[in-house]
Amino acid sequence: MATDTGGRFDGDELRTGLGLDDPRRLARGAAGIVGFVAVWHLVSLTQPAYVLPSPAAVGGSFAEELSSGTMTTALWSSVRHWVPGTIVGTGLGVAAGVAFSWSGLLDDVTAPLVRTLRPVPPLALIGFAIAWFGINDAGAAFIIAVGAFWINFYASYGAVEGVSEDLLDVGRTLGVGGDLDMVRSIVLPASLPGILTGVRTGLGRCWMLVVASEIFGVPGVGREILRASNNLLVDTVIAYILVLSLMYLLVDVAFRAVQRRVLVWRA
Amino acid sequence: MNDGPMGEDNGPMGEDDGPMGEDDGPMGEDDRTGATTGESGVVVDAVGKTYEGDGPPVRALDDVSFAVDGSEFVCLVGPSGCGKTTLFRIIAGLTDASDGAVRLAGTPVTGPTTDMGVVFQEYHLFPWLTVEENVGFGLERSDRSEAERERRVDEMLGLVGLAEFRESYPKSLSGGMKQRVAIARALAVDPELLLMDEPFGAVDAQTREMLQRELLDVWASTGKTVLFVTHDVAEAVTLADRIVVMAAEPGRVAEVVDVDVDRPRERDDPAFGEHVARVRELIGARP
Repeated sequence: MATDTGGRFDGDELRTGLGLDDPRRLARGAAGIVGFVAVWHLVSLTQPAYVLPSPAAVGGSFAEELSSGTMTTALWSSVRHWVPGTIVGTGLGVAAGVAFSWSGLLDDVTAPLVRTLRPVPPLALIGFAIAWFGINDAGAAFIIAVGAFWINFYASYGAVEGVSEDLLDVGRTLGVGGDLDMVRSIVLPASLPGILTGVRTGLGRCWMLVVASEIFGVPGVGREILRASNNLLVDTVIAYILVLSLMYLLVDVAFRAVQRRVLVWRA
Repeated sequence: MNDGPMGEDNGPMGEDDGPMGEDDGPMGEDDRTGATTGESGVVVDAVGKTYEGDGPPVRALDDVSFAVDGSEFVCLVGPSGCGKTTLFRIIAGLTDASDGAVRLAGTPVTGPTTDMGVVFQEYHLFPWLTVEENVGFGLERSDRSEAERERRVDEMLGLVGLAEFRESYPKSLSGGMKQRVAIARALAVDPELLLMDEPFGAVDAQTREMLQRELLDVWASTGKTVLFVTHDVAEAVTLADRIVVMAAEPGRVAEVVDVDVDRPRERDDPAFGEHVARVRELIGARP
């Protein structure tokens, strides 16, 4: 692809990504968090810990889980589900979305199948995950991949549909010959903004799916949340939810920096 | 400014030798079905287009015939709805004709070809490519060496005066600059014909006049054959050696007008005004 993806990331981009370049915005955001925690604290004083634990209790659980090593083990395990699941699901979703949207024939052939499979929630496929992969990392990654697939499939499908017919005409008059050349030189770069929006949505959705993917007994952050829920350890539940939030934040900021870099040509 | 266009005198064919006698009246009486191998420029031969839809078929173009000789500058004008854009797309090979044929240098046009440099009204630059990458886009598909391609891009950027913007993305360019890039991109592959559809329709009047002058300079220095579609009669009289005037319902050639005005043409020249009045009358007078 001809898009300029070279060059290094510099601190400015990261600061912009995190919102650190605008002190006023940063201050307001911080105020929001402090306000939220304060209200949470006040409400928690009126409730038993199994309904709403105090922020301090959650902090304590967080530190405890972290220092005992349980949290890092669980996180590492979830990362091993999230990374392959997201990569495989995203890759297949984008490839299928672009191909089915571009090719009228493929679209006709697959449309009824797509409409049948689309409403199936990833969770309903747990039986297949166990049967095909077993109760292991691959099974959990499979559930995540299914979720990533559909988000990226529809985002890419729509993005390719939205590519201007005029740009394709220009390509034809400049000697672009054949589907492969057209997709590579015009369709993909023209639809890249839409595709990347889908990828970004998928990255977040896949962290949510981590919980679902570990429901059948594979260890990880999701498993810890489910285990703590069953024991009414709400402070531990929230501590692990925070882990997922932090992971999402980290990935999202990094991805936005990449996105900005890749789409530098955009107005 | 040296505006002596090479086309007028140096064209491989004198104007009167064109495949279509100019005084023959709009509809070809002569039989031009046999392609002459020595043909240069573009020949539009009895082209018709019928759109079949839910309702009765619509005849958008009927028996359209004219020729643009090598190195000649021809404008195509007509009222809205006369099928100018349909004809443009047929000549470019982007739409099929229902009948008749278009020949470029004697070869029938059956689809888009790099022998034609096409410029659209809305520029349609590739926004993800820099100015130089846009200009070099067509060259990447040619069998030129990399050094040759780079030299060609440099040459084109110099021709349209955008060398210093080579690394800019289209988003940061003005409308006039974008259209210069589009022209450079179309010319880069060294086409036989430069085919333009209302290319200056989207820019302000001042930029438009500047672009018209620049286009004449480019034409003079490259000796390209140009077919330029416009709805602006004054623009056509400013630019063209000949003007193909179209009429609507169905779209057809009303008349072909020679523009016998020395270049550079000034709008306050009485001869200029006469030509504008004549073409306007043709557009208005024909039902």
